[in-house]
Amino acid sequence: MKSNMIAAFFAVVLVATAGCTNIERSRNLADPTVPGRVLAMQVCSNCHGVDGNSVSPNFPNLAAQSEPYFIEQLNSFRKHSRLDPAGFEYMWGLSRHLTDEQIKDLAAYYAGQKVQSPAYPTGKLGQREAGKVLYAGGVPEKNILACATCHGPDGMGMQQFPRIAGQHADYLVKQLIVFQRTDERPEGAIMKVVAHDLTRDNIESVASYLESLPAR
Amino acid sequence: MDFVGAKVRRTSLHDHVLRVVLCLLGFALAAGNAYALPAFARQTGQNCASCHAGGQFPELTPYGRIFKMTGYTIGERMVPLSVMGVLSYAKVRDTTKTDDPTVDFQKNNSLMFATGSAFLAGKVTNNIGAFVQVTYNNYNSQSVGPNGELGRFQGHTQADNMDIRYADRFIDANRDLIVGLSVNNNPSVSDPWNSAAAWMQYTPNASPTSHQFVDGSFPGFGSGGNIAGATAYAYLNKSVYAELGLYGTANRAMSFMSAGIADVNRTKLGGTNPYWRLAYTREWGPHNIMLGTSGMVAHVFDAGSDTSDLNNRGRFKNFGLDSQYQYLLDPHAVTAQAAFMRQVTNYSQNTLNNFVPTYFQADGTLVGPANPSDTTNTFRAKLSYVYQAKYGGSVAFFNVRGTSNPLNQNSGFDAAVGGLVTTNDPNGTGITSTRVNGNLSGNPATRGFNYEGFWTPVQYVRVGVQYTAYNKFNGASDNYDGFGRNAKDNNTLRFYIWAAY
Repeated sequence: MKSNMIAAFFAVVLVATAGCTNIERSRNLADPTVPGRVLAMQVCSNCHGVDGNSVSPNFPNLAAQSEPYFIEQLNSFRKHSRLDPAGFEYMWGLSRHLTDEQIKDLAAYYAGQKVQSPAYPTGKLGQREAGKVLYAGGVPEKNILACATCHGPDGMGMQQFPRIAGQHADYLVKQLIVFQRTDERPEGAIMKVVAHDLTRDNIESVASYLESLPAR
Repeated sequence: MDFVGAKVRRTSLHDHVLRVVLCLLGFALAAGNAYALPAFARQTGQNCASCHAGGQFPELTPYGRIFKMTGYTIGERMVPLSVMGVLSYAKVRDTTKTDDPTVDFQKNNSLMFATGSAFLAGKVTNNIGAFVQVTYNNYNSQSVGPNGELGRFQGHTQADNMDIRYADRFIDANRDLIVGLSVNNNPSVSDPWNSAAAWMQYTPNASPTSHQFVDGSFPGFGSGGNIAGATAYAYLNKSVYAELGLYGTANRAMSFMSAGIADVNRTKLGGTNPYWRLAYTREWGPHNIMLGTSGMVAHVFDAGSDTSDLNNRGRFKNFGLDSQYQYLLDPHAVTAQAAFMRQVTNYSQNTLNNFVPTYFQADGTLVGPANPSDTTNTFRAKLSYVYQAKYGGSVAFFNVRGTSNPLNQNSGFDAAVGGLVTTNDPNGTGITSTRVNGNLSGNPATRGFNYEGFWTPVQYVRVGVQYTAYNKFNGASDNYDGFGRNAKDNNTLRFYIWAAY
């Protein structure tokens, strides 16, 4: 009797919910009617946080990200032109059926979020100070451009150039190495030139500095 | 486990179908097809390592846990089918201290296709998803000839873990609440943490007796699986997880949850059998931790007994504590797990009534009457590391302690003979001792270590080697069966190839 009741109860739930899809709480990545904001809550938040501030440095912060840059990245994932493993392993599939409209929604949602100060900043003070010098002035003797030239004096980004202030240092280090050593991010080819002569210490210093920038 | 002496049976149609599917899987893998992903990965389009820490099945990442708690509904509906197969080899350290190695160490020192599963798994609606596993055991039973000679092994297919759920998530800037219902057939199979009883496991083991010592002991629930239950759960702000459920016999409309299991072997529960789970979780940076507790009270009828007679009904009370720590930052995945389970077993009245002390102590006195209950404490801790989701290793410690009970003795002395009761019964008294699986003390104490190294060349194939080392088995380090077999004689080397599509 008990078994029949369990089965009957579940059958009722199945029938009652099968036909009434609640778009406001959908996790369906192939439904173009689900607003980007809903996907941000129901799916993207699992790694990137509800407000675009991710807990794990495995996943980049998306809060306050430049909309054009964000849109370009999701397009790159969707059309498989961004090839770095950390990106395609997670993002190719999730983005495969997103519509342009959903991507725009997502970009607007994250651009409107506030960056939080990192709860667990990495790097030492001396390293961050060296990173600040490199960020603002580059490495003239190696003809390495100042990062601030494109990303802005405070790392806030502009248009196609991403906001990198407040980003996880581990993520920045890994991406700089992707730019430096591979052609897996063709949309950021300019970074291959910039990062070409950076040492590991340069990379870690500038990443620590950027991660430590106060929330704005 | 009794794999020997089963009647000869015909292989059914679905066994054949599954064999064909698994053969095709083998060909696909041999051909180097690198585009294959199991059903969940196809549904989300993501790599296995997104949900499985370091790519090691079945252990979940924080994202994998949310995927499960939200009812396997993230992504898009696809053909919800997957298959899995395991090739296995085991070698027991000592195969001489036995009366018949072909019985006690079946398929020792030989590589075999051990087991395969088919899964119906994935998103059904926006709120409903399923994980339904059916497993084919290639060595389920062995035929016996008219003169007792052992014949061919026969395969068998039956229900394995099943978890069908409804889930919803209410999330905004101030709150994140996941709620759900699960109908499942194994207490804690609905749990998203790997230190839960149903999931603190290695690659699926094989059933031939050469594999009986692989992995050692696990904290588990007394009821075991192949039952049916419904649980309701909630996870608030990625912080507190609570689950409550009730279990019963998997019969009538729920009989599919024990499909393929002969009625005599199906677990029969009586009354109301509650299950509960509470866990606290926290994530910071690349770290995450879970501290949890769980428990169950199960009223279980003795196997094959008359369920209308309550004197055939015993009771298991389980109380567990478990914890898990993960450090996940590419390319590193570190996991530490610890789980403890206390089980109090109250034997059925008929078990106690029917028990007649047969063995004698070494000093010639008859062993005492059966104790009406036993308590066992099982502890297991495991530490694993995986690099680049490809190269991994782990070490685990297991320790079972418990009360001694003449009821659990299956080896002993014979006062009349003045020595050990033999493994056969020339006097027709019906009293024998058991070698290899014997227990001279009536105590369950078992302790040892598991070591494992593995390689995941592509995300759906894993090759591994395990070594299980015992320093205590069935209550003793030395001569635990009364015939001179020592715990370390059961040390087992295992090699496996696991693949899923």
